[in-house]
Amino acid sequence: MGDHDKKPTDDVLANPLRLRREEELRILGMHCATCEVTLTKAISAIQGVKDTRVNLASGNAKVVLEGGKLKDVVSAIRKAGYDVALQKFTGKVIVSEEESTRLRQFIEELDGVVSAKINPSSGIVIVEFNPMTTSSERIQEEIRKKGYKLDIAEEKLSKSSEVRKLLLYLLVGALVSPFTLIGIPILQLLLSIPVVFFSGMRFHLGAYRAIRNKTMNMDVLVSLSSLTAWVYSLLSFLILHSGYFFDSASLLVTFILAGKTLEAYIKEMSNRDIITLQSIKARKSTGEIVDSRKLKVGDVVIVKSGELVPSDGIVDDGEGYIVESIYTGEPSAVKKVKGDPVIGGSTLVSGFLSIYVTRAGDRTYMAQVIEALREAETVRMPIQDLTDKISFVFVPSIILISLISFVVWFYIMHQTLTFSVLIAVAILASACPCGFGLATPMAVIIGIRRLLKKGIIVKNGESLEKLKNVRTFVFDKTGTITKGEIEVRKFQEYVPGTLELAASLERMSSHPIARAIATLSSSAHRVENFEEIEGGVYGKVDGFEVLVGKPELIKRNCEGETSGDVSVCVNWKISADLWLSDPIREDARELIGDLKKRYKIVIATGDSSLYADRVAQEIGVELRKGLSPEEKVELVKKLKSEGGVAFVGDGINDAQSLKEADVGIALSTGTDIAKYAGDVVIPNLGSLKFLLRQLSKTVRKIKENIIWALTYNAILVPIAAGMLYSLGIILPPQYAAIGMAMNSVSVTLWSFVQ
Amino acid sequence: MKDPVCGMEVGETSNYKTMYKGKIYYFCSSHCKVEFEKNPEVYIKEGPKGMPDN
Repeated sequence: MGDHDKKPTDDVLANPLRLRREEELRILGMHCATCEVTLTKAISAIQGVKDTRVNLASGNAKVVLEGGKLKDVVSAIRKAGYDVALQKFTGKVIVSEEESTRLRQFIEELDGVVSAKINPSSGIVIVEFNPMTTSSERIQEEIRKKGYKLDIAEEKLSKSSEVRKLLLYLLVGALVSPFTLIGIPILQLLLSIPVVFFSGMRFHLGAYRAIRNKTMNMDVLVSLSSLTAWVYSLLSFLILHSGYFFDSASLLVTFILAGKTLEAYIKEMSNRDIITLQSIKARKSTGEIVDSRKLKVGDVVIVKSGELVPSDGIVDDGEGYIVESIYTGEPSAVKKVKGDPVIGGSTLVSGFLSIYVTRAGDRTYMAQVIEALREAETVRMPIQDLTDKISFVFVPSIILISLISFVVWFYIMHQTLTFSVLIAVAILASACPCGFGLATPMAVIIGIRRLLKKGIIVKNGESLEKLKNVRTFVFDKTGTITKGEIEVRKFQEYVPGTLELAASLERMSSHPIARAIATLSSSAHRVENFEEIEGGVYGKVDGFEVLVGKPELIKRNCEGETSGDVSVCVNWKISADLWLSDPIREDARELIGDLKKRYKIVIATGDSSLYADRVAQEIGVELRKGLSPEEKVELVKKLKSEGGVAFVGDGINDAQSLKEADVGIALSTGTDIAKYAGDVVIPNLGSLKFLLRQLSKTVRKIKENIIWALTYNAILVPIAAGMLYSLGIILPPQYAAIGMAMNSVSVTLWSFVQ
Repeated sequence: MKDPVCGMEVGETSNYKTMYKGKIYYFCSSHCKVEFEKNPEVYIKEGPKGMPDN
């Protein structure tokens, strides 16, 4: 460690030209010359991009940045429909709330780093980087060089041992500090040493690191106040003989440690429900008991009534009732018998099950949820820029206030030196900047956890903020507004036997319309050259060329007039028309009725049948029908010019629209949440209401937390400064410290009351 | 197989395809596909015209 590690940032500040950097990116999905043109255009359009060279042959893009951000380049590439090969690592860093922004900026300035996210409350840091420029080791080394402890081992991420670490320090403080109250100066001096210098070491080290990184945090205040009190007492003991407060110094450290420990404990408790779901005791059929994370696909586990299902699997034997609220949001138990799928983390309320494990380790639903949450919880809300600004000036201001108060009391009010020093120390000890830093992350985490309990998974925390600005909700129809259980309402066969051929062909597809048509006949014909095309399917059935599809597709390819929602051509002649129906979901009718009052609602559907009109008419909303996936994206883009747009649809077929919308809400139809596009995954349409309600609660909570932290300081600091001295009220440093400690504890606790 | 709009080599695995007059056409990107669907006859008769402007 030397001075050299500080240089990059210093130089950047001194000379902005240093910001010029060259990055080579590996582009995925580039397979033609258009891509080269599209990408070059998209990247060059970003501010701060000096030069772009996209190479189709190598699949790489060279970008010269001058002030531009790699993050913007990556998002432009993704918006253009391509992807970039990036890598990611997750770690846990010990950092105070006030420093986290500074650390994030530092990491993002490193070469090759696309984005860094830090959850200041848990210390989880997620860094996304370009493996062609840098490596995770190199980034980790840079972080450590800055003086931060970084763990990347998986066990360390989930099992936070913060409380245990703090307890040892607290124990020393709590056992020794009371004895410093005994009025024997030499004893006070000796006893205060372990408290101030052992128990308080984390504050002194934290302060040193902060100052070295040119920032200020709560540790600076604690360290400064306890050391000032102690050093003054020592001088007094040796030379001045004016008064000692070794006891104040010791109690101050102890009280703040107690507060920190309590805060860490509360945070850990809030994490516990999720951690317990990740690591469940599993009883294998062999009788062996293992941690659920050690299970492998193919293991058979036994679950008894009242126990948690340890992993995703299929019921192999037995039957029972399971509460799957973590997955479906439904609090009532569902019956499971042999062959039914079960989700790890759900509870068997009665019965006995033997379960064949089908997904284990990282692939389980719970593991995916935890990974998604970890990322979501690192979100930065715009309001954090404000709290960062407050934090930034907060500590220096407090130090200044402390100095001024000392001068006023000592030189102007002619109080004793001891009294004046006590006041100065009390001010340092009373003020707490951590409340501001905690206000947002705590509220967001608690909000996200609340949602999870209802089976709602927030994959992108920013969506909570963006949802607030949404003006339009766009719903996909099939499977979202309607049940997706399409039925053939009516059909007309112009050539006998057509439907039999169509049914055989449709059996090859999993599209809801295909499934409905497939049920029309059970006779199986031989299908060759099967193709799924937008708007229909094609294949050779028993040697006949059969095309089943929507009117647009049929018109382009067949002779004759179509009149159905779907038509069948045999050898390119229209041979049958079918009319479909798809019942509206009960919860959709109610939900849209509610949403209509506050939002503009649009139904966007690929369905061009008359039935779509009926659905829209019935719910009374605007309809855009017959849209291709690309046209849905265009619609979202257009609506975005009028304000925020949320798209609610199925996460797989509507992936592009979900990505384009400000907030993409995917209706889950399976357990593989990683494959869904979208920012939020909801188990059913009804949970959208809960999501919106919880969101407004969280936003309100953030505001309350910030106001609370401000008010708290605004009251405590003046009292510590001796404003109420004329009434005989002063705040000794150790009590001021209780106030400081309780500020962040109360913000943490208040966040729970949502 | 060639993309009828830009003339690029494309495989049958391409996700961008459409059917016109009973024949399946494959494309390199959604741009080309959209372009083709606007004016299929032109591209079938006159051959690839190069990259469409976005």
